[in-house]
Formats: sequence, structure tokens, C-alpha cells
Amino acid sequence: MNAPMGQIAFDEYGRPFIILRDQDRKSRLTGLDAHKSHILAAKSVANILKTSLGPKGLDKMMVSPDGDITVTNDGATILDLMDVDHQIAKLMVQLSKSQDDEIGDGTTGVVVLAGALLEQSEKLLDRGIHPIRIADGYEMAAKIAVATLDKISDTFDVDLKKPEPLIKLAMTTLGSKIVNRCHRQMAEIAVNAIMSVADLKRKDVDFELIKVQGKVGGKLEDTMLVKGVIVDKDMSHPQMPKVVKDAKMAILTCPFEPPKPKTKHKLDITSVEDYKKLREYELKTFENMVQSVKDKGANLVICQWGFDDEANHLLLQKELPAVRWVGGPEIELIAIATGGRIVPRFEELTTEKLGKAGIVRELTFGTTKERMLVIEECKNTRAVTLLIRGGNKMIVEEAKRSLHDALCVIRNLVRDGRVVYGGGAPEIAASLAVAEAADKIATLEQYAVRAFSEALEAVPLALAENSGLAPIQTLAEVKSRQVKEKNPRLGIDCLLKGTNDMKEQNVIETLMAKKQQILLATQLVRMILKIDDIRAPMDM
Amino acid sequence: MSRMQAPVILLKEGTDSSQGVPQIISNINACQAIADAVRTTLGPRGMDKLMVDDQGRCVISNDGATILKTLDIVHPAAKTLVDIAKSQDAEVGDGTTSVTLIAGELLKEMKPFIEDGVHPQIIIRAVRKAASLAVEKIKNIAVPIKKGNPKEMKELLLKCASTALSSKLVAASKDFFAAMVVDAVMMLDDLLPLNMIGIKKVTGGALEDSVLVAGVAFKKTFSYAGFEMQPKTYTKPKIAMLNIELELKAERENAEVRVDNVEEYQSIVDAEWKILYDKLDKIHHSGAKVVLSKLPIGDVATQYFADRDMFCAGRVPEEDLRRTMKACGGSIQTTSQSLTPDVLGTCETFEEVQLGGERFNMFKGCPQAKTCTIILRGGAEQFMEETERSLHDAIMIVRRAIKNDSVVAGGGAVETELSYHLREHSHTIAGKEQLLISAYAKALEVIPRQLCDNAGFDATNILNKLRQRHAQGGRWFGVNILKEDISDNLEDCVWEPAVVKINALTAASEATCLILSVDETIKNPRSGQGDQPGAGRGRGRPM
Repeated sequence: MNAPMGQIAFDEYGRPFIILRDQDRKSRLTGLDAHKSHILAAKSVANILKTSLGPKGLDKMMVSPDGDITVTNDGATILDLMDVDHQIAKLMVQLSKSQDDEIGDGTTGVVVLAGALLEQSEKLLDRGIHPIRIADGYEMAAKIAVATLDKISDTFDVDLKKPEPLIKLAMTTLGSKIVNRCHRQMAEIAVNAIMSVADLKRKDVDFELIKVQGKVGGKLEDTMLVKGVIVDKDMSHPQMPKVVKDAKMAILTCPFEPPKPKTKHKLDITSVEDYKKLREYELKTFENMVQSVKDKGANLVICQWGFDDEANHLLLQKELPAVRWVGGPEIELIAIATGGRIVPRFEELTTEKLGKAGIVRELTFGTTKERMLVIEECKNTRAVTLLIRGGNKMIVEEAKRSLHDALCVIRNLVRDGRVVYGGGAPEIAASLAVAEAADKIATLEQYAVRAFSEALEAVPLALAENSGLAPIQTLAEVKSRQVKEKNPRLGIDCLLKGTNDMKEQNVIETLMAKKQQILLATQLVRMILKIDDIRAPMDM
Repeated sequence: MSRMQAPVILLKEGTDSSQGVPQIISNINACQAIADAVRTTLGPRGMDKLMVDDQGRCVISNDGATILKTLDIVHPAAKTLVDIAKSQDAEVGDGTTSVTLIAGELLKEMKPFIEDGVHPQIIIRAVRKAASLAVEKIKNIAVPIKKGNPKEMKELLLKCASTALSSKLVAASKDFFAAMVVDAVMMLDDLLPLNMIGIKKVTGGALEDSVLVAGVAFKKTFSYAGFEMQPKTYTKPKIAMLNIELELKAERENAEVRVDNVEEYQSIVDAEWKILYDKLDKIHHSGAKVVLSKLPIGDVATQYFADRDMFCAGRVPEEDLRRTMKACGGSIQTTSQSLTPDVLGTCETFEEVQLGGERFNMFKGCPQAKTCTIILRGGAEQFMEETERSLHDAIMIVRRAIKNDSVVAGGGAVETELSYHLREHSHTIAGKEQLLISAYAKALEVIPRQLCDNAGFDATNILNKLRQRHAQGGRWFGVNILKEDISDNLEDCVWEPAVVKINALTAASEATCLILSVDETIKNPRSGQGDQPGAGRGRGRPM
């Protein structure tokens, strides 16, 4: 960093005068230096992620300050945990996050693309092209690229009865993740989950209805989809029945104890009799409560709050199994799944408000004492839970993230049925189209558009490199074949299956995700290129 | 500094005082530095600044006022420039960079005169005169908007908005946003209150996914269990807007109940419940389907509403609630006692919609749609913040254009014309003012010059062409960034409301006069000390 030169003004006596607060402790970068420093920062972020791209991409291990370890190859997660400090690098992090928020997949690709675009713009800046003209050229090119994607996209029929194509799609997404050991099974789980909650008419999928729960232990293969709700709780008393069939649930948000006024109150107990009376009263209320719940026909109580051991004992005596301390969102999920109503007061409990489920059982895991409650065969099957098992916490967490990605992809497909084929094929096709268009542009932007087409190649290049292929040679081959055969489905054969046609390999990505990647990356690059002046507090 | 006589100590020791001509020069230099800071942001090829503050938050902006505000300027004279940028922002909302630049340039042009010993007051008088001449000229040449034809009017506003947006980050989609801004402003009532346009930001999505909602939209508030069971769409619902806490709680903070025996216990509890249920029942019976409250709506109430197929949202930000009221009619109630139909609002449809990672409550088709909401989408947070600022500028411009119905051509055209006019005028005056007014005229040329510099053009060349065209009567010729040439900017639809320019010139001239009229600064040592963290802040401690 060069010193804040030209920043200090001198008055007539030759004394420097201070215009900004703490001026001498601020650094300033302007002009080309600023651009170079931005590009360097962005490039280094992109380089970190580059090796995670594609089915043969590698994972990163991150150790947090307090020793938590995360292993992942999800771009957004990596960047999130890297805790970057540089301003421009932070923008890259936000970029991948926004891809994550909107699409949920392709978070690595978007960063790699943005990095490549900036790398290309460095050369253009060296040639003396105005940064804004570069950005303008990029925007022009992005429009061409997106139009090309639209052209080469295929429509994909989302049909609940034919889940096979969707499973293939989910398998593409999961291909690069740690879970690809039980690739197909995971894909099926994801598809089934989406299919049971998807609202095809509104073309929407409510993610709130899908709960992903992880539990350490067992094998990845033990991962399952429960068409119902899993609650990480057990029956309040060990002797209560472990399985309740034809369960009728009372879903309560009030504590199982005598109601207390919220106003501050005081009860003076002056004699032993009074005390006894109080005790009797409490007991009676308990009994009344339990009785009223039973009278309404409930045979299971789900309670948001707790109840003390005495109540617990009483419930056991009355043979009314109960679950306590169930969290708010879970209560809600249970209510939706079982068609019951959440009841805030005992007095309001009626038979209609009970939730119904075919079976409620406690799951035990191996030799551990941990238990979970599974509510299945519910009235409303739209709420589902994915229970992920795995050897250690890292794998479970990573599997969670991977499944989330897969769920997002399928959801996007339900929303918009257009797809492109993956494996770098759309990038190559777009790159070719952009390069062709570049020659037709008469202004300076031509160079920028051409640079854009080169930057688009970064994704297939990285894919080939990560798969152990000779990157440039492979890319050149595929490129020439795309032109010769006019087949935009040709991509990098990452898995060495012997064909470059991604349609045959069934490598599918959603059009939305690809378009979004290009648009977001261009947007960010424009923003970075537009900055020519940085003022920051100097490093400590 | 160099007086060697026995000093008469007048001020506290350590007080920094400097005076006379050198002081004026030094102030001018300081202002110069400020103008330099925003210089490169002008125009469609202007660049952005990235500023990081001590906490590590960063701001990326192209808006002159925002940059100067964030820079945290301490120099007393330089602060004046910040103030005029702020006042321009408050008054017209756009042109903050130009105003700073003009002021800086005016000072620069006046500096040689000060050095040559012209009395500041003479300069000030000349600057004032030149400013009033310039303002008059703008008023003369401004092109009035024909308000009669709404379609024509709209086109005109569109042009103004897209000129304002052309220098911003969103320039690539300026047509899209210009249309959005104009639509938004047109939805307002005659007073055009700015706070009736809500701008919400949702990360993710492309810029073009931004939408204008004719009505109110706000983020889903925190909800309790039971919320998911409430219906999420209504047509023609009645909306109750409340300022009541719908929670089971102690009615009075400090009240205490003494209970003698346990039977009474139940009755107290029942009473408490009854209070809440009374409220809820009243709301229910009023026929309202959507219940909004500024204060929290507790879980009991949430479930109560869920049972009755009603929708509720607690902790709605006041601003949003007020806008809902404006849009849907009705009024905010602080009690549930008098929920008569006339205090309930209504709208065509109410919906909860998922946008990116957020859920939004939307009220559409409001009977009194005097409000609207712009939902911005975009990649990074910084990006959207800058977009919001840009839209704010554009909204202000459109408002101004509607209120004051005349426009001038942008792109340096009006400045060149004024400069020409002033220079012509100066030849008719005798005396020092002649020089000063032509200096003022020269200073105005900074705008076209900077536009060229930022775009990487040969400024001298283009400026000469401009001067020539204006001398020949080409009144609206300005810089054409796209063609690297000059062109008639009124035809090319680079328009700005005249009031922006008038305000900019007046403010810049005022600031110049102010800075020129100061010839002594006395700086209290204490205030200087406070700047350095760590140094004692002890009041009146001798140094």
C-alpha cells in the first residue's frame, strides 16, 4: 500500500492541515492501483474455490477459532466460514450467498466466473480501456450469453408419477458432494421429499414443510425420509409406551400445571390446613386436567412447556403418554402434519382439535440412549422430515448441506421447468455465441465482450482440471466439436464415462441457476470495476 | 508566527489561530481537496468510491453527499462543502457532486485574485451578482413541461429519471428503473410525500427481478407457533390496524394480588384470560380478517386467530403500518373497544409471498393507493444499498420535475450556456467585476470538463467545440459520452429539472462567499485534542 500521498494538503506556512478525522491513519488507493488490488483480492478468493468445482472437486476443511471443524465443498459455506476481511473479498462472499439464497446451488461456479471476469478485465485495464466501458461490454455480453442459454435450454416435465428424470437431476447436484457414496439413495430421498410437499399448481415448494434433521451415528445409508415429523425428544417418562398407534394428540402450548396468573400475586398461607388445601387444589387441578384431556379422546400429549415430576407420574398413572419441551417450530410442524390445532388452554381443548397420526413411535439409536420421536402416517402428508445419519458430525453436516442443495435444485425445477445440460456445456455454448457476437461490435466494447467469452471458459477449464484431464486440450476439443456438430450439449466428461454428450450422461442443471450465475457475476464485476478510490483505516 | 515582540497573551495557550490572506488561501486549498475527493464520480462514466470506517463497515457509493458524509471531515472550512452537498441532497436530492465541484472550482478561480490582493468583499459581491445572473438565465431558458398531456408528461419524467440514473451503478438497467421510479411517484398524491414510497431490499435475484408493488409490502414479522396454520391469502379482507399488545400478561406492572384461599386463584387466572379473550373476540366480531399490530401479538392470540382463519402480524414497524393505513384506509386503533367498520381498512388482495429467502406480506389493489413499495433485488448487500441511494436520487428528481415544471439539458449543456452568457455579460461591465465574473464563467465549465475527463476524452478539445457551438446559438449542446463528441442534449433526452441547477448554483455560490469571507480561524485546543483517541478529555486541563 502506498502512503496516503497527495492526501495531505499544506497551508502557506508549510504545515500540513488535517481535513479528515484521523487522516494520518487512513490509507487511500486510487485509480489503477485500486483496480489492481481489487482484482487481486477477488482472484485469490476465486482460486480458493476453483478446486471445489465439479464432481471431482475436492473439499475444504475449515477450523473455526473455537476448534469446530467443517468439511465442505459448498462454495457459500466455505466463503462464509473463511471469515474474510478484505472488502472486495467480502463482496465475493455476499455474491455466493445471494446465489445461495435465491437458487441454493451453483455457489462455487458464480465465484469462479466472477474471478475469471475480473482476471480478464485486468488485461483490458492494462491496455488502457476505461473500466466502465469494460463493465458495459460485460453487460452486453451477459445479455448475449443469457439469450444463448434460453435458446439451448430444454423443457423438463415435472411429473409426480415419473420421478426418474428428477432423480437424475438431483444426482448431478449431489455428484460433487461427499454423499456420492449413496448417490442414488440421497437423490431419491430429495426428490420424494420435494414431491410430497410441492404445490404444482402454484409452482411453489414451501421449504418450511421440509425439515432436515441430522443425527450422528449409523451409516449414511441409514438416512431416511420420514413422511411425518421427527422430534428430537422422548416420552416424558421412561415407562410410558414407546409406540402409540392411532394416536390422537393434544397439542398444548400451556404448561401442564395449575394455571398461574401473570399479575404478581401472593398467597398467604397461615395454617397447616391452608397448606393442605393448596396441595389438594393442585392435585385436583392436575387430575382435572389429565381427565379433561383423556375425556376428549386424546391418547398422547405434546406440550410446548414442561411439567414437573409429580405431573409426570400422574400422567403415567392415568396412562396418558406425554412429550414435553417441544420447540415452537416443531409444535407447528406437528400441528400441520397431523391436522390438529394448537391449544393454548385446557378449557379450549375439544375432540376436533386433536391431531391424528397413524403411529407415533420412539426411535432408539444403536447403543446410545438417545431417542427421537417419529410421528408417521399423518393426516396431512405434506410435512416431511429427512433424517440424516452418518459416521461423524462433519459428514452429517455436509450431508445436510448437500441435500439442501439438491432440494433447492428440484424446487427450482418445479418453479421453472427449463433446464440446460451441465458439465460446462452451457458455458462453452455461451462463450462461442458471445465470441461470435463480439466481432460484430464496432466500439471499444468489442474487447470486453471477447474477454467475457474467454472468462466463461473458466468453468469448463476448472472442471477439466479438477477431473485430472488436460484442461486446455480437453476444452479445445469440446469447443471444436460443439461448433462442428452444432450440439450445445457437449461438455467436459468429468466422470470419464466415454461420452461428451451431457444429455446422455444425464448431467442436468436448471436454466434459472445458470442465468442467475452469469447475471450476478456480471453485476458484481461491474460494481468492483466502478470503484476507483478506496479509503480504509490503515492496518493496525 | 513570526512576531517577536513581547507577546500579549490573549488566548489560551495551545489555541491555534491563523489569520489574513494566508488563512483564506489555506481554506481554499482544503476545499480543493474535498472537491478532488468526489471529482471522479461525476457523470455516466463516473467511478465509485469505497470507504471503510473504523468498524470495518464499508460503503460503496457514487453519491456525492453520501461520500462526503462518510468521509468524516473535520476541517472547519471544508465542512462547509459537506454542508452544501447535504443541503442539496435534502432540497433536491440529486446533483450533490456537481454542487461540490462547482464550489471547489469557484474557489480555485478566485484564489489568484485573493493572492493578487483583491479584497474578498469585492469578490463576494461579484460572485453574488454572477450567481443571480446565472439563475435568471436558467429561468429564462428552461423548457416548461406541458402538464396537460399525461402521456407526454410521463415521457418527460422518464427522461429526467434516466438522466439521474445514468451515472449510477444501475446505469445498465436505467430504463427499467426509470420506469419504475416514475410509476412509483405517479401513484402518490399531490403532495408527493417521499416516505410513502417504501424501498425494501431482498438479497438474491437479478436487478431486473425488482418489482414495484402498488400498495404496501413488508417483511414477515416474527411469528409464534400457530402462524403457519393461518391462511396466507385473502381477497377483499378487512384489515384491523392496532397498537395493542395481544398477549397474556400482567395488566399493571406494579399491581399485586393477594389471594386468601386457593379457590380465588382460579378466578384470577380466568379473569386474566377473559381480558385477553375479550379483546380478541372484539377484533374477531368486527369482521377483520387481517390483524396488524405495532406491538407484539403473542402465541395465544396467534392461535386464536389461526382457529378463526384470520391472519395476524405483530411488531409491524410503525412506518409500514402507517403506510398500510394510507393505502388501505382505516385508522390505527389503540383499543379494541371501538372497532367499527369505518376504522377497518381494506384492499383487493392480501398475500404472503416468498421472495428469495424472505417472506413478504403484500397488500395489493388498495382503494386509496397513495403509496407504493419498491422491492429491490440484487446480488450483494452493498449493491442494493447503492441502488437504493440511486433510486432515491431519481425519485427526488421526478418529484422535483413534477412540482417545478421546467427542465434544462444536462451533460454540461446548461453550464456551458451559462458560462457563455456570463462571459458575454462581463464584457459589458467596467471594473474589477469584469474579471471576476468571467472567472465565474470559467469555473462553470468544470462540469463539462470533468465529464470528459471521467470518460477519458480530450477535455480541451471537446470544450472548445462546445464553446463554439454555444457562441453560434446552439443553446443545448453538451457532452455526448457515447459518441465522444458534442450533441444537442435536449434532443438526446438528457434532461434535468431546472430547479436542481438553480439550487446547485445558489448553494455553491453561497458556500464560496462564506469561505472567502472568513479570514481568521481560532481553534480551541480542546476540540483538537478530542480528535486523538487516548488523549485525555479532561475539561480545561492546562497544557
